[in-house]
Amino acid sequence: MTALRRLRPPDPAVLGRDLLRWGSAVVIGLAGFAFFVAAVGADPFEALSAMWRAAVVDPIGPGEVLVYAAPVILAALAVAIPARAGLWNLGGEGQITMGVVGATVASHMIPSSLDSWAALPLLAVGAAIAGAIWCGIAAVLRVSVNLNEAISSLLLSYVALRVLDYLVNGPWKDPGSLGIPQAEPLPASQQLPLLDWLPVFGGGRLHAGILVAVLALAVVLFASRRTVWGFRLRVVGGNPEAARRAGLPVKQLIITAMLAGGAIAGLAGFVQLTGVEGAAKGGIAGVYGFLGFLVSWLGRHDPVAILIGAVVVGGIAVGGDALQIDAGLPAASINILLALLLLAVLGRRGRARGAEG
Amino acid sequence: MIEAVLAGAVRGGSSILFAALGETVSERAGVINLSTEGSMLTGALAAYVVAVETGNAWLGALAGAAAGATLAALHGAMVVWRGANQLATGIVVLFLALGVTALLGRDYVGVGVEGFDRWAVPGLSDIPFVGTILFNQDPLTYLALIAAPLVWLLLYRTRPGLFVRAAGERGEVLFAAGHSPRLVRFGAVTFGGLLAGIGGAQLSTALALNWSENMVAGRGFVAVALVIFAGWNPLGALVGALFFGGVESLQLQLQAQGVSVPADLLNALPYLATLTVLVVLSRKRLHAAPEGLARVFEISR
Repeated sequence: MTALRRLRPPDPAVLGRDLLRWGSAVVIGLAGFAFFVAAVGADPFEALSAMWRAAVVDPIGPGEVLVYAAPVILAALAVAIPARAGLWNLGGEGQITMGVVGATVASHMIPSSLDSWAALPLLAVGAAIAGAIWCGIAAVLRVSVNLNEAISSLLLSYVALRVLDYLVNGPWKDPGSLGIPQAEPLPASQQLPLLDWLPVFGGGRLHAGILVAVLALAVVLFASRRTVWGFRLRVVGGNPEAARRAGLPVKQLIITAMLAGGAIAGLAGFVQLTGVEGAAKGGIAGVYGFLGFLVSWLGRHDPVAILIGAVVVGGIAVGGDALQIDAGLPAASINILLALLLLAVLGRRGRARGAEG
Repeated sequence: MIEAVLAGAVRGGSSILFAALGETVSERAGVINLSTEGSMLTGALAAYVVAVETGNAWLGALAGAAAGATLAALHGAMVVWRGANQLATGIVVLFLALGVTALLGRDYVGVGVEGFDRWAVPGLSDIPFVGTILFNQDPLTYLALIAAPLVWLLLYRTRPGLFVRAAGERGEVLFAAGHSPRLVRFGAVTFGGLLAGIGGAQLSTALALNWSENMVAGRGFVAVALVIFAGWNPLGALVGALFFGGVESLQLQLQAQGVSVPADLLNALPYLATLTVLVVLSRKRLHAAPEGLARVFEISR
């Protein structure tokens, strides 16, 4: 029954219910957030209006939102593809981090004579391969010794973070960075161009990373809805035993789904490296993996819902920056708003699912 | 040197041990709590704030326990009564903890605290080697070491422990016997958060004597991994936590001795070791898993 429903596109009634659910969640989130801000003696209305100004009113606000949304979209797709096959990819942070490593390795291998934007795709390929390998380890462990991929990918994340820390503290350390552990900055030709020409969004930090994300989203949308592979993934996700009996190559599908997810997470690392940071450094993956996981899960792993969710999360993240700059509150405080909002949605979803049995 | 490493292993591993014991109880009841990390964070901050304001580290530890339990209760309520997905809820609750502790803790960054002093156990601490390692620690570390066998006794030799295990294996049986599996699960998750909260208190008021944003830095996730590593056995969690603390301590000692080691790579060792053990023992471990837990991982929607 559920498997059948998954094969159908979402109908408008469900969409309307989702909108209502999100609307009430926003109210709950904002109220709870205001409460906590007031608890430390800050003015909640001032904080909220600073966030609104930063994300919407400020001329570079909408662009900033997309700067944050791009890695979230990619990280969410990295969760969504394996999820179609019934797999949990909880290792987004690690795959993003390895994407940064892979792109930097590619950058080192490119001869300096290739000083054009032709180098950028090579960095992207390096990032995708590294991310895919990292996620692939979890996939192989799953099909060979039946080790749960949620646990293994999560553990592998911490390994990846240490690997990058080691590289930027040691072999890759930029002697000119005055003790700050980071690699040498990429040459200008290996950084994503700014989208200055774009109306409304351009003008600030907005770079071509959002195009990478939207392109990946379109590819995933097509692959999952219009290809045999996408259909088979959903069959495996719906009932692996039935898929096996129907003669589908279940192990192969599991591995390819995880490889694809890891590659896309690697691209998130590529986007952050070449679009935002400009040099490999520790902590570059932030919590984008977890954010992507939540966005994908709440959007039922649907690419369109992921796009909407990522923009919402991006807006909240921009608000977090504003909190720090304008209201003097830690940027991480914004997680309160995000978490309460998501809890409200999760709670309502839970009840609805409970009723379904 | 070996003495110092092992003493550091016990001291550094005890916060993880508390959290792993808590998560063992929670998972035995069939609920995985990825926000163990969050409970440690709220516990660390609450303990720190109360210890700073009252000057009493014990009151701080109590507050840490309460804060960790409160956060876990939120997770428990969501997954037990609202039927929310366990993994997703855990991460959301963790985000809540990250935000709340960053905001409420901002005025306590860099503020000094009179935390727990080390208590040398009279007589025992004079035993060469063993004395330094085991009997010259902070009180919360002693508590952690005692808690491991106590949690084992609780789970395997008491009625509440039987209920917890029944709730994790076959909730229907518990229901048929006239008890509420939901209430038992909720209680187990909350109790798990309480222990993780004490672990956080050990971190901020006994080990680091300091509060900083996101200071738990992944120890809660290590604890979750250790529970599986240990096959859902509290005594195995003791071994795992000491191993993890040992690697951390070895690395600090090597650095202090001026030995050049790639500290970051050494840091990855405990995660790799956990992964390796999981791979080697995966078949056996899967049999040891509470049945209710297996279901959590099977359904991703």
